[in-house]
Amino acid sequence: MIDSKEATKALSDIDDIVRRVRQSQIYNLASLIMIWWGVLVFAGNIATYRWQWYGGYVWPIVNIAGVAGTVLISAFMHMRTHVRAVDGRVIAAFLSFFAFGYLCSQVLGHFGPRQLAAFWPIYFMLFYMLAGLWFGRAFIVIGLGITVLTLIGYFFIPGGAFLLWMAAVNGGGLILSGLWMRRS
Amino acid sequence: MAELDDIIHQPLRLRIMAALNALPLGTGLEFARLKKLTGATDGNLGAHIETLAKAGYVGVEKAFVGKKPQTTVTATAAGRRAFARHVATLQEIIAASGGEPP
Repeated sequence: MIDSKEATKALSDIDDIVRRVRQSQIYNLASLIMIWWGVLVFAGNIATYRWQWYGGYVWPIVNIAGVAGTVLISAFMHMRTHVRAVDGRVIAAFLSFFAFGYLCSQVLGHFGPRQLAAFWPIYFMLFYMLAGLWFGRAFIVIGLGITVLTLIGYFFIPGGAFLLWMAAVNGGGLILSGLWMRRS
Repeated sequence: MAELDDIIHQPLRLRIMAALNALPLGTGLEFARLKKLTGATDGNLGAHIETLAKAGYVGVEKAFVGKKPQTTVTATAAGRRAFARHVATLQEIIAASGGEPP
């Protein structure tokens, strides 16, 4: 028979593994969602660069496809792993977040296309960084990395090339981060 | 006080069972993922999974995903019960000494 110190150590090992399993499941789900959004954001930036006058149509399509894909991925993963990513509270949080962003960028401030192209990624990366406080450092690293790269592009890359930069750092960044998360 | 389960008590086997038990019933973990979570080496993990499988605590399923072999390990109902008993015994040991579980 073991003593209470060894028993405490064993229970704390169990807690640690359970925490790592849960985090791994969250990373697995989040990585798929991230890759999906990365592909859409990459395509959205390239499309806006190529057909600048249609930017107003491109981004609503990207957002609707993004949310629909997120719900489908979440439902699929829920069936496989019983981890639920999207429920009423998550949808309410997402809508509140989106509404606040719209209020800041379109009502209180009147951001131009360049400001919008920088604002939304940075704003969503803030969401990632906040999520990272609960769900793991990977979210913080990804959020911070994409925010810094977006700001570099915003201040140093002139004209339409900024959209190509955003396709690479935001779209490509999300895809690479999703792939990295699947390995971690 | 109930006896500790000798098969589960070994540290790596305890981590394997804890990881599998954290999943919903019938859901398993791929060998590579289990290796990463437990920090074990291939050979060590394989040997301990075999011990757990012989005891009927885990099920091992081998399949091919594309051309790659994939091994999935799942806790059986008996394994989950044994793990729950083992955890209860650990908590009893701590309680008997006047401490509180972590």
